[in-house]
Amino acid sequence: MLLKLHKSSNSNFEKKERSREAAMASGGIKGFYRQRKSGVSKSPSKLKSKPKSSTNKSSKAAASFGSNTVQPSALISHGSLDLQGDYDESEELLKQFDMNIAYGPCIGMSRLDRWDRANNLGLDPPKEVVDLLRGGKVGLECLWDGSV
Amino acid sequence: MGVMEIDTAKNLQRKQSLYQNLDEKYGIHKEQYRGQQYSHMYFTRLHHMRNLLYSLVKKWKPHLPVCKVLGLEEGKECIIVGTLYKHMKLKPTILDEYSKERSAVPLVKSHNFMHPEDYLVLEDESGRVKLGGTLLEPSLFVTGLVVALHGKETTTGQFLVQDIHEAGLPSQIELPLDSREDKYVIFVSGLSVGSTTSNPLQLQLLVDHITGHLGDEKEQSIASLIVRVVIAGNSVEIPQGLLNGQILVSKDQSRLSEPIKELDILLTQLAVAVPLDIMPGPNDPANFSLPQQPLHRCLFPGASAYNTFMSCTNPHSFEVDDIRFLGTSGQNIDDIAKYSEAKSNLDFMERTLRWRHIAPTAPNTLGCYPFTDRDPFFIENCPHIYFVGNQRKYETCLFRGLEGQLVRLIAIPKFCETGVAIALNMRNLECHALSFSTKLDS
Repeated sequence: MLLKLHKSSNSNFEKKERSREAAMASGGIKGFYRQRKSGVSKSPSKLKSKPKSSTNKSSKAAASFGSNTVQPSALISHGSLDLQGDYDESEELLKQFDMNIAYGPCIGMSRLDRWDRANNLGLDPPKEVVDLLRGGKVGLECLWDGSV
Repeated sequence: MGVMEIDTAKNLQRKQSLYQNLDEKYGIHKEQYRGQQYSHMYFTRLHHMRNLLYSLVKKWKPHLPVCKVLGLEEGKECIIVGTLYKHMKLKPTILDEYSKERSAVPLVKSHNFMHPEDYLVLEDESGRVKLGGTLLEPSLFVTGLVVALHGKETTTGQFLVQDIHEAGLPSQIELPLDSREDKYVIFVSGLSVGSTTSNPLQLQLLVDHITGHLGDEKEQSIASLIVRVVIAGNSVEIPQGLLNGQILVSKDQSRLSEPIKELDILLTQLAVAVPLDIMPGPNDPANFSLPQQPLHRCLFPGASAYNTFMSCTNPHSFEVDDIRFLGTSGQNIDDIAKYSEAKSNLDFMERTLRWRHIAPTAPNTLGCYPFTDRDPFFIENCPHIYFVGNQRKYETCLFRGLEGQLVRLIAIPKFCETGVAIALNMRNLECHALSFSTKLDS
């Protein structure tokens, strides 16, 4: 597991130190690339993460992991990074519902249809999912909709 | 010579029967295609049959644990339940067309794709495992059926099969046979009106016999016992040569519609006299993939005016006087015959009943609609009559299930080639062939 999740710390200096250590521990890519500029962290997602999250939260930030492109300083000039992006808690719950293989494949079906199918097959899907979906403020299509 | 007397003999009444159409699950008009693939169908199929097999396995080998494929441990005897996949070397794949090396061997042979090196793989919701051992003969199985296997994992990672349990026949409602009166259902298929092999006189003989326009009083009283006619597919053959992408001139347009008009005339004569079910077949103007939807009423302006005319789906399921019928126009059995072997087509029919699924090769090699929430080819109730149309010859047998189910299997031959229609007596489930010939010399 290359990615090491650190608890957020207030000290900027400590952040940089930890990120360098983590970068060195993360493997031999360092040998291929030149030394990085100071003040630039290799992977912002390593610095700040929610302690309670056990799943791979960095799916949105994953595109920047391992890349050596210089992050414009404007992005990280403030203390907190917007890692969540479009996903809030309810979307997270729905993502978990999509990924659960017990309810079958999720691609090609709307979430509500998939919940209905799971319900009709007696698989006992969580009620919160259908309440959220009928509430209407969340995405009705599955995670991969439009991407596959 | 006296004046000809009009026969004032009694009017013969045709027997009546109660009919119920059960084709609702084969309809796709309520389905909305949202770009889904076939994984959903395999998921629902596995889900239904897995639950069924779990309950059966408890009685079969209660001392053995049931595991998932990913939970297999080497040497541990257990039971796994999943979908069979048969890896076939000669099965045509679309990728062969793009292969750089094209040998002289033609890409697709139409008869049979079996090869001695075919092997079986079992796949459940967690993973797949190659099946080893000598118990399962790959030539007897096809992709898509769900079974329970007893065995253990070997050092090579294969699953050595020691025993197999299929889903078996579903339960059947018992019939009080031999206490009813003689009533016949006529099965015919492969009329192929419009083809070069079809004989209009033979067709007219068939229609006249059924409607009672043929023969003396004794013959007519036999015909009055016919309560239903089922036409199992391939009723028409549209001249394909005209459909080559060119604009059709009016002369060609009328040539294209001639066979349907001729069929409509025959069907109108039949519908006037007897209730009629017509199913689409592989050559009929209906959709290609299973379940085929009913032929449209506008194709039969004459016959569809009668309420005795029933256009049905393929597969077709119905009940006459509480006797349950289930049948197809042949695509399911023909497809299984390409990928496995048996002594006769009745064996394939028996196998589909024992697998509790009429078309296990759908959607793998048999075109089918990508259902998301159900698998309509799963057999819920055991039929009393199971028929398949457009077969090479007439074959029939009585199949007994383990729980006392009794099924009459009928392979209906192509009428244009054999001139044979099948008459089934609903009183005792016996059937015989009606052979029509127009040759004067034989």
